[in-house]
Amino acid sequence: MLKSHLALFPLLAIVTLVLLLPFLLPWSYDQIDWDAVRAPAFSGSHLFGTDEIGRDRLARLAAGTRITLMVAVAAALVSLIVGIAWGATAGWIGGRVDEAMMRIVDGLYALPFMFIVILLMVVFGRSILLVFVGIGLVEWLTMARVVRGQVMALKQRPFILAAEAAGTPSTVILLRHILPNIAGVALAYLMLTVPQVVMVESFLSFLGLGVQEPLTSLGILVKEGADDMDMTPLGLALPGGLLVVILVCLTIEGERLRDRFS
Amino acid sequence: MSLYENRNMAVTIAGNRLVEDVSLKVEAGHCTAIVGASGSGKSLTCLSPFGLTSGVASGTMLLDGIDLGRAGSDQIRDVRRRLTGFIFQQPLTALTPHLTVGTQLQEATMQAGSARPSRRELARKLERVGLSRADERLDQFPHRLSGGERQRVMIAAAIAHDPRLLVADEPTSALDASLRAEIMVLLDELRAEKGLGLLLVSHDLASVEGHADQLVVMDRGAVVERGPARQVIADPEEDYTRRLVAATPRLQEPAPVLSRPGQILLETRGLGVAFDRPGWRRGKIRALADASIMLRQGESLAIVGGSGSGKSTLGRAIAGIGPVTEGEILWQGAALPERRNRSLEMRGLVQPVFQDPVASLDPHWQVGDIVAEPLRYLRPDLTQADRIEMTRRALSDVDLAEEFLTRLPASLSGGQAQRVAIARAIVASPQLLVLDEATSALDPLAGAEILKLLVRLQGENGLSLLFISHDIAAARRLCHRVVVMEEGLIVEAGEMQEVIDHPRYPATQKLIAAS
Repeated sequence: MLKSHLALFPLLAIVTLVLLLPFLLPWSYDQIDWDAVRAPAFSGSHLFGTDEIGRDRLARLAAGTRITLMVAVAAALVSLIVGIAWGATAGWIGGRVDEAMMRIVDGLYALPFMFIVILLMVVFGRSILLVFVGIGLVEWLTMARVVRGQVMALKQRPFILAAEAAGTPSTVILLRHILPNIAGVALAYLMLTVPQVVMVESFLSFLGLGVQEPLTSLGILVKEGADDMDMTPLGLALPGGLLVVILVCLTIEGERLRDRFS
Repeated sequence: MSLYENRNMAVTIAGNRLVEDVSLKVEAGHCTAIVGASGSGKSLTCLSPFGLTSGVASGTMLLDGIDLGRAGSDQIRDVRRRLTGFIFQQPLTALTPHLTVGTQLQEATMQAGSARPSRRELARKLERVGLSRADERLDQFPHRLSGGERQRVMIAAAIAHDPRLLVADEPTSALDASLRAEIMVLLDELRAEKGLGLLLVSHDLASVEGHADQLVVMDRGAVVERGPARQVIADPEEDYTRRLVAATPRLQEPAPVLSRPGQILLETRGLGVAFDRPGWRRGKIRALADASIMLRQGESLAIVGGSGSGKSTLGRAIAGIGPVTEGEILWQGAALPERRNRSLEMRGLVQPVFQDPVASLDPHWQVGDIVAEPLRYLRPDLTQADRIEMTRRALSDVDLAEEFLTRLPASLSGGQAQRVAIARAIVASPQLLVLDEATSALDPLAGAEILKLLVRLQGENGLSLLFISHDIAAARRLCHRVVVMEEGLIVEAGEMQEVIDHPRYPATQKLIAAS
């Protein structure tokens, strides 16, 4: 049992660390140590050194991971809720309503996502809310399709017909028969959505479209590190490595859940 | 010497011995049948010696003098190539979807090293298995053929290289009742003509009766009884075989004693159902047309027919879980509206039971909640204590102990799950049960028990039953009257015994011949 969830342990360790670090470190992520600009690793109280304007690297790493994970979990939850509601409604009602709802999904899929996000940023200025909106706009679509397919398959199952014959109202059938039976699949896709969102958020931040300074995210840290990588390779290796570990662990766990439930 | 012989053969998968101590013989030109319930190890027994399962067979397995137990995998492959042909249950999945019938047949012919056959030879092979327009079919893909045609192609491919032994794993189970007899007769003919040995596996004693020379009865991975088929069926020695023989419905058995029906309960007049064609195509598919039936209180009516005959559509329309496009349903003389407009009392009058017992129970619900579900909405007047009491009574009506209340569907056997489904159907005291192939997915022993249970419930509660089935012999055990359907139309109706004795319509005759 424990062995099959091995991928979760590094994740839990990372989450605990980034939550605890602000209380343990003497430096906050936006505080500048004028005495130690570009300090190397293991110098004084800076475990991983400081960046080019003297901010503690470890503190910034923790802050960036927090933001990235927060955006990811929030966007994945939004996609879960919207996707299930939309997909289950379309699949359950069927017919014209289903047809119309799924064409809307197809239409949104067809929009060039990056272009839309960049447009939003240009029009409304950069804000973390827009990152949410942009990501949320895309990520619930897959969930809606998956859920709709599951609901349509379940609808034909005899136990749903038997519940109908037993006089159970439609809403109760949806809530008590259908949703519990798609929860496993939805959970699996949720686990696969989180790394996708991490990826998208980092990408947006890397392009300079994500969160604002002094706030930071893994994508921004990777970008800063990449600009400076011939001087201090650690600045790129740390956030980059962390991003890879998070993505790999989430994907392994998601795939495992998907194999189990579908 | 026998063509094929197993002595003390055992099959192990990952260290578990699943089949033990099987001995059987197949003579050239004869048929040996292995019969047993699902999970009895019959498929493992017939396929494992040839390396076609994940199991490892040990013991002595002689085919034409070659000991498969000692042969390496190369040698076993060579045996499969030259000496054996295989027929599987699912004809669609056993044929490669992207190759034409002709290509597959050619491949099968050449597998034993013979020269490339001419188109004429291939066509002749298809004609031999009873396919018309053989030349045209060589260029067709498997999905263009019907189930029976596919099964014939598979037989043609299995014997294309002139094997000595034909292994048929449930060759007729996925087919329509009326086709089963035809396929079995074809196998008999081929066996006699080519001197083939046939090793046949089936869960259904009735379908091998009259075709098999030797019978091997298996239960839980071991041979229970074996001997000449006629003798084993007529005079079984072991208790298990005796129960199996008794459980298999037959048309020759004495007529059952059934309760006397009362007043007319339900009538349909000119009932029709049409579905929209799938996708963007226009037009409708008529699944049912002009169906007029009548059912009395305490009476059982059988609706029999092949797959696609519209029998389930009729049942669902009556149970209020399927659409109705024309005609009307009368309940004690008053019109029964479409499902959405039925009041709760009306919905409670008719309850359905489905074919697949496991799929008809929500996997996340406990048995107690499943059985109580109709009470919650159909009888809102009841108190919680009443509900629990009625749930218990329904469970004991279907002979399930109280400990089942907290079990989950996954922990039930097929027979137990079907009992739970019946308990759910009767808990709110309906007057009519619509049973859609309620016993076909069960193995014969469990199926016979369910039939008995239904007869008993009818006697005790005056229930009316609508028994939808492809198996007229099973229906005869509990039904007063029968309606025969074909392609959405009722083609024959009458007293059960009368119809069996004097079938007038070809579809009826086929169904009777298949039983």
